[in-house]
Amino acid sequence: MSIFDVIFSSSVFAATLRMAVPLMYVSLGGLLTKQAGIENIGLEGLMLIGCFAGFVANYHTSSWLIGILVAMIFTILFALLFGLFVVSLHAHEIVAGVAINVLGSGLTTYLMRSIFGVKGSFTDPRVVAIPNVEIPVIKDIPIIGDILSGQSVLFWISILVTILVSYLLYHRRFGYYIRAAGENHRSLSSAGINVSKVQYLTLVLHGALIGIGGVYLSTGYLTQYVENMSAGRGYIAMAAIAFGRAKPKMVFGSVLLFAFVQALSNRLQIVGIPSYFTDMIPYAITVIVLAITSYRTFRKEEGVSCD
Amino acid sequence: MLTKKYLTPITSVIALIFALFVGAIVIALNGNNPIAAYGALIEGSFSSIPHLASTLSIATPLIFTGLGVAVAFKAGVANIGAEGQLYMGGMAAALIVIYVDAPSIIVIPLALLVAFIVGGLYGAVPAVLKVKTNTNEVVTTLMLNYIAILFTSYLVNYPFKVANAPIGMTETINDAAKLPVLYPGTRFNIGFLLAILAAVLIALMFKHTSFGYEMRIQGESKVFGRYIGINTDKRIVQGMFIGGGLAGVGGAILVLGIQYKFVQSISPGYGFDGLTIALMAAFNAYAVIPISVLFGALRAGSISMELNTGVPSELSNVIQALVILFMAAQSTFTSTLQDRISKLGFRKEQRKLNEKEVQSE
Repeated sequence: MSIFDVIFSSSVFAATLRMAVPLMYVSLGGLLTKQAGIENIGLEGLMLIGCFAGFVANYHTSSWLIGILVAMIFTILFALLFGLFVVSLHAHEIVAGVAINVLGSGLTTYLMRSIFGVKGSFTDPRVVAIPNVEIPVIKDIPIIGDILSGQSVLFWISILVTILVSYLLYHRRFGYYIRAAGENHRSLSSAGINVSKVQYLTLVLHGALIGIGGVYLSTGYLTQYVENMSAGRGYIAMAAIAFGRAKPKMVFGSVLLFAFVQALSNRLQIVGIPSYFTDMIPYAITVIVLAITSYRTFRKEEGVSCD
Repeated sequence: MLTKKYLTPITSVIALIFALFVGAIVIALNGNNPIAAYGALIEGSFSSIPHLASTLSIATPLIFTGLGVAVAFKAGVANIGAEGQLYMGGMAAALIVIYVDAPSIIVIPLALLVAFIVGGLYGAVPAVLKVKTNTNEVVTTLMLNYIAILFTSYLVNYPFKVANAPIGMTETINDAAKLPVLYPGTRFNIGFLLAILAAVLIALMFKHTSFGYEMRIQGESKVFGRYIGINTDKRIVQGMFIGGGLAGVGGAILVLGIQYKFVQSISPGYGFDGLTIALMAAFNAYAVIPISVLFGALRAGSISMELNTGVPSELSNVIQALVILFMAAQSTFTSTLQDRISKLGFRKEQRKLNEKEVQSE
């Protein structure tokens, strides 16, 4: 099997879509606040909150739907906590974001040990997985069927959500408010709109979407909770947002790219490349890609300002 | 008059008390006794000389990462990458002492120097990207943490792996390369004194050298710095080099003074703690020391808290996060408090004036 066969196999593409699901929701949530003028580096911590809360709810009710809802509620609460400090108390957003990350990781690990009494990971047959969708006709088409059929229901919803977020931002009044809050909050408030209110409402959507991304990890991709199982996905989502310039459709594309890199890195382990190197690929690509995109915009801006 | 300078320590203590209070609620909600838990925490960190020694041993790398982050922030770079810089510095120190067979007086300073340079270069990468391509350093320093952790894990699991070790680690270092111990029977070592020396040097650098002055000024306002003729790009990269270097030395101290080898995932988040410490210290080098000791106590004490009362040691992370949040909102609190106080002062002065007028009449 040549390296080319490894890279372009249907299983890698199927894995790409699976990996894309959590990144998709978290990136969409993150781009909304970024458009509203809030840079939240606490995506990782919020994801863990959703991941854990959804898992616990699913464990007690054996319902994946309640799991998702509870994940959304708790993540919204913590997103609002972040908002309280950043929007109302004018805390430094990076600092508050770091705090949310430490809090998410510390609180979920603490609660896992005190609720389930175990360290590391926990799984139970009572936890019901978020269903996958078998598509009747497409399922039987060779390559396309392998890739598209059997994906999580959340994958198909994520496409819908991307379109909705894009519609909200560019075709609804509230979307204009969100973008105005980020681009020029003074003119927004002089138009009589309460900027803080717009930002808080954006944070509610932000939390809801990140909650879905988080809960997919523990009750979709696996039905197991592992300590700190977000494993840097929140940061990769930040990179995807930066790469897609916070525009929903472009972010969707860059999420697919990052997910492909992740799927590929898992695949290369099978070929015998040490996992430490393959795990490094998404982070390294993020740095390189971010540097290139920033350089382009930097040059453009300089070109304008230097005449 | 109470100025911001004197109010900041007061509100810091208030933030800490707030965080401990919320932490107590979390403990109580879990059905444990918060007073017993905090009692065990304090007992495990300050009650005897060995406990104090372990608190200070943990505080040592924290002072270095705290200083590293503080210097970078003063130079205007949001350095979230101290963790990665610590790993690279620690690894470099481990390789030096394994391959250089020399007396202590040569090998220890050499290892610390190389750790400084390697950590510094690793810190300089995001700074160069920032000044040359305008890349957001928050994301790059975060990513470089992961890259450093994975890269060093690779090194101790493949080329430098010791056979039959349960996890990836290098061989144990020679006795000559071990940092001299300050209190026998513990691993509390001269690294702590070096950390204090580093804090003093950094404070002096910012206060008394034009190099430090330029770095600080352009960190506060790049436009102003450029206007008065400072090469801001250069100072930013130098600031990150020094910052990364300090974090790298923190890693070297872990290898030469605590673990006596490089073990994969050697740091349980000392770099991230350094970020919190630097922020709490408002980037003041001297303030980094007591706050690091406090965090060392939190880490040392939380382990005995778990052993004695069953409250998971991760509680210390929760408390830490709360401290960061309250500290982050602190400047708002401080200025509100200052407003109130100055209004009070104003009223008092007016009253005095009124009284005088009455008297003179």
